[in-house]
Amino acid sequence: MLKTFLSKILSKVALTLLSIIFVPLQTFALGEPATAVAAASYPSDSAQAWLAKMSNAVKSLNYTVSFVLLKPGMDSQPYLWRHGVNEDGLEMEQLNLLNGPGREVVRIGNKVSYFEPNVPPYSLYSSIINGPLPSEFLQRPEKLMLSYEFIMVGRSRIAGRAAQQIRIISKDKSRFGLNVWLDQETGLLLKMNMFSQEAQLLEQIQVTDLQVTEKPDLFFSKIEPEILPEVVSFSPSTEFNSKWTIGYIPKGMMIVKRDFLRLSGSGVVVEYIMLSDGLIDVSVYLQARDNDKPQSNLVGTVQSDTLLTIEHGELNITVIGKIPAATANAIAKSIERLAK
Amino acid sequence: MSQKFKNLSALVDGEDIASGTSRSQMLDAVKDDVDLQLKWRSYHLIRDGLRQEMPVNIHFDIADKVAQALEAEPAILAPKKTWRNIPLVSNVVPFAKQGGQMAIAASAAIVMIIGVQQLNQADVIQPFNAAPPIPGIQGGLSPVSFDQARTVVNSDGAEQKKRINAYMTDHKQQLRFKTIQIDNGAATIPNTGIKNNIKSNIKSNIKSNIKNKEAHLDIVENISK
Repeated sequence: MLKTFLSKILSKVALTLLSIIFVPLQTFALGEPATAVAAASYPSDSAQAWLAKMSNAVKSLNYTVSFVLLKPGMDSQPYLWRHGVNEDGLEMEQLNLLNGPGREVVRIGNKVSYFEPNVPPYSLYSSIINGPLPSEFLQRPEKLMLSYEFIMVGRSRIAGRAAQQIRIISKDKSRFGLNVWLDQETGLLLKMNMFSQEAQLLEQIQVTDLQVTEKPDLFFSKIEPEILPEVVSFSPSTEFNSKWTIGYIPKGMMIVKRDFLRLSGSGVVVEYIMLSDGLIDVSVYLQARDNDKPQSNLVGTVQSDTLLTIEHGELNITVIGKIPAATANAIAKSIERLAK
Repeated sequence: MSQKFKNLSALVDGEDIASGTSRSQMLDAVKDDVDLQLKWRSYHLIRDGLRQEMPVNIHFDIADKVAQALEAEPAILAPKKTWRNIPLVSNVVPFAKQGGQMAIAASAAIVMIIGVQQLNQADVIQPFNAAPPIPGIQGGLSPVSFDQARTVVNSDGAEQKKRINAYMTDHKQQLRFKTIQIDNGAATIPNTGIKNNIKSNIKSNIKSNIKNKEAHLDIVENISK
């Protein structure tokens, strides 16, 4: 009698305990996708809603944009950027460097063709154009929500249009910040400043002219997709086992590429790792150390890229990317041999 | 009153005004109200300051204020007599003052000695920040040091430069050939196509691979020229 009574009480206690544990877990699980998906759930004047408006506009509108790229230690570079969506819903994009011999990039749907001086034209299968614009950020700003904070700053006037300013700051200060001005009417990018922790300007994109049209620009009708250059694909070496692992990857960053390669010029074989967070890309090179030739540790900036090269254990490690030197150092020093 | 300023602040920031007043009404109110005009000016000044959009020359009306202040200034004819003018006291006070200064100087010296000692200790422990290889995971951010001394010892500047250039060119290469598939349905098609190829005909795939690699090398060589 007593036994059954006790067991009843015990089971009840266990049940309540379980429910106490599980209820918050469930709400947690429910809360997760909400942050990942959607912009729709944010109020219309929040930074998230503005960025959603931007990515939607970038992909769906027909526009012609002139902008200038400014970097320290470099002449300013004017670009023409066109985008259109045809009747079949196919996205077409063009990016053209207007000074000098130029550089022309055309994207038709998922095929990006590059026409550059001194290089035979080639195409890649990709959804974005690799160039001065942070294309991946423009199309997928929600990728940054994990590791960056978005702050609405207010309105101002850029390129003769009313603009909404949003500040994007790295939560753990491991990356540089951004100031972004979006067109009040369309949500398209009007200006972008990348700044260091000391609020120093590192890179700037300034739109000088923005035109949104009903139909795609006539330029796109002249393109014949059949005669675009062949697609070059680089399949990574299939058997890939590295002896090294990175201990510290800044929050929100991922390894997007890993390969062995031979450096053009010196011909040295190195292991290559690319980290990306959807806004900036960082290259990490691991090179077996040659004991006869001790290398010097070095850190510096080349235009807006930080370059750090250090001796670390048996390796010479070089990190390049638009990140603070402290972050580059932390990444390099976290590399260690895989335990077998 | 405070509601009035709140509305003005919202107007200046380009936000929606809370109560029933429209923007044009608000602007009309500014035209007639001196209080609002002053606030309008200071709000814009504050905003420009916060956004670092301040003009190089700011024309505050200083002249006005200086003139006003001068007029308000009472005319001083002769300095007042104070207790410092009494002979004996006037000799004692500077002496006390000097004593105070000495004390301050002495304490500053002590602080300096302590500081220097601490600095020296740190130096003994860590001659180079970046040089010693430390095994294990270093999660935290540690300061980076430019290792000048070592560079001088090596004195092989040209090779260093060449090496850095090689890395920079390769970094640019890597970014140039970066591909991203944003999955909108259509984006995944070429990928599966390649996979099927591998399954059905490995030989041709290898061939095309080699061809691609050659193409890659071609491009790389051309760029590095």
